[in-house]
Amino acid sequence: MTSVARAVPAGGQPPAGTRPAPGRSIRDRNRVVGLLAVLPAFLVVVGFMAFPVLFALYISFTRTNGLTYRWVGLSNYVALLRDPIVHEVFLNNVTFLVSVPLVIFVALVVSVLLFDRVRGWRAFRVIFFLPNVLSVAVIGIMFRNAFGYYGAVNQALGLLGVEPVQFFTDGRLAIAVIVLALVWSGFGYQSLLLLAGLTSIDPAVFEAAALDGAGWWKRLWFITLPNVRRVLGFVFIINVLYTFSSLFGFVFVMTAGGPGFETTTIDYLVYLKAFSSTNLGAGAALAVLLFLFIGVLTLIQNRVFRLQEED
Amino acid sequence: MSRSVAPTGRRRSQWVVFAMLCGVAASIIYPLYFVLVTSLRSNEDYLQDPFGLPGQWSLANYVTLADAYGAGRAFLNSLIVSVVSVSLVLLLAALAAYALAKLPVPGARAVTATFVSVMLIPGPVLIIPIYLMLSRLELVGSYWGLVLVYLATGLPFATFFLTISFRGIPNEVIEAARIDGAGFYRTLWSVILPMGVAGLATLAVLQFLGVWNELIFAFILIPDQANRLLTPTLASIGERFVTDQPLVSAGLFITAVVPLLLLSVASKYIMQGLQVGVSR
Repeated sequence: MTSVARAVPAGGQPPAGTRPAPGRSIRDRNRVVGLLAVLPAFLVVVGFMAFPVLFALYISFTRTNGLTYRWVGLSNYVALLRDPIVHEVFLNNVTFLVSVPLVIFVALVVSVLLFDRVRGWRAFRVIFFLPNVLSVAVIGIMFRNAFGYYGAVNQALGLLGVEPVQFFTDGRLAIAVIVLALVWSGFGYQSLLLLAGLTSIDPAVFEAAALDGAGWWKRLWFITLPNVRRVLGFVFIINVLYTFSSLFGFVFVMTAGGPGFETTTIDYLVYLKAFSSTNLGAGAALAVLLFLFIGVLTLIQNRVFRLQEED
Repeated sequence: MSRSVAPTGRRRSQWVVFAMLCGVAASIIYPLYFVLVTSLRSNEDYLQDPFGLPGQWSLANYVTLADAYGAGRAFLNSLIVSVVSVSLVLLLAALAAYALAKLPVPGARAVTATFVSVMLIPGPVLIIPIYLMLSRLELVGSYWGLVLVYLATGLPFATFFLTISFRGIPNEVIEAARIDGAGFYRTLWSVILPMGVAGLATLAVLQFLGVWNELIFAFILIPDQANRLLTPTLASIGERFVTDQPLVSAGLFITAVVPLLLLSVASKYIMQGLQVGVSR
């Protein structure tokens, strides 16, 4: 029902009845129709994606509870940069970066295995992709359950005669569990990305190398890896971006940032500041800083990619 | 491509590779199997022998979740919000993509640039302004507010994706339709959509997964416990029942089952969608 209502404005427009002469007027009419067709999507995106970013920027310069806004200039930013909690949380994010080489390593191994095209490799592809269709909430709670006091991991340790471990009362262990969840849920998709890179290598190169007597490892090191360099770079950067902007779900369901702030990430701190403090400005300022940081990372990524395409 | 293309090539190593792939596959399948089996037993039964099969199979956990924690209602809420959001995304994206791919839209470059650049916005940046905007519009607590957010966050990629897929449709077909007197809607409905159906299906599946699995906005925009969607409900169950693994497992399975079913029937489309993700 709504869909019809939404569609009408774009459709009602083309002048009915008068059939214009072909040529210019058809083009003009197409311009109008085209504009009207793009408009609904454009307005929604500008209104609820682009505008909110500007609004966040404005909020970050104010002291606000959401009802009244008082302009305070840069003081939210200054307070954040001086805040020891922000420093701690930023370092947590840096710690989470250990997941990046781990995921990439597993993904690379799996992609090389898949590249052998053994029996059933298509089915394996779907299985490895499986965690990607699950919600972060599901994966997070599954891992939290598995590593909980009564969870599967402690039950297995119990069978080996080891005392149960409290994984979530120690910040380092908790981060390790979240990193494990990141690797488990991330390697499949990335191995498929890498596989796509491998597939684009000319098979003749492998055959020539094999004839020259290059063994499996030599071919991996001298042919396979150099050829997936670009995809590796891409995978690396999406992992880094993910670590800084998308851990909210995991932290939210697994540790709620604790103990203390030991597993809090920047995106989770934005949420904490937004919904458990009286000044939304601070949260917005942190979000803007995060956005800038990610923007810079993306720019660097573009640079690096362009350089690589040139050589 | 032939087998000999592979870097290994020899038969014996093929078995080694196969065995290793099986090992990796098991590391994914076993945890999910464990969740399913655990959800079908009582807590006492689980604690007695967590890794064995249940002494007594039971659906009691699912009944408890539905009766006492509104999981059934939450499941329906999620389903409705997902279906409505995805339908609207597909509709608006198809309109925009057809125009961008085949019509001389004034400012098309600016529109495309806007869509591509907003895709880079990290989610956390939107939380505060969206919450404030929707509360000003009195849409916090309303499913429409949530649908609006999913629409806005889904449209950039959807439009981008469909524009690429519609560009592949030959202009001659569209021209022929025009000569037969088909207007904008007729062409979209009878020519573009049928020819772009594979792209639309892929997109529908990807968007559905995205909305079904979303957690942050579903949590903050529907504050009333009774009206919650499934992922926030699962999060609060997971938080409250750390000692009852089987009950939480049942919640996990309810939330995971829809995406898993979707993957099993539509893996072809999902894998196709990946290719576009790569070229992006």
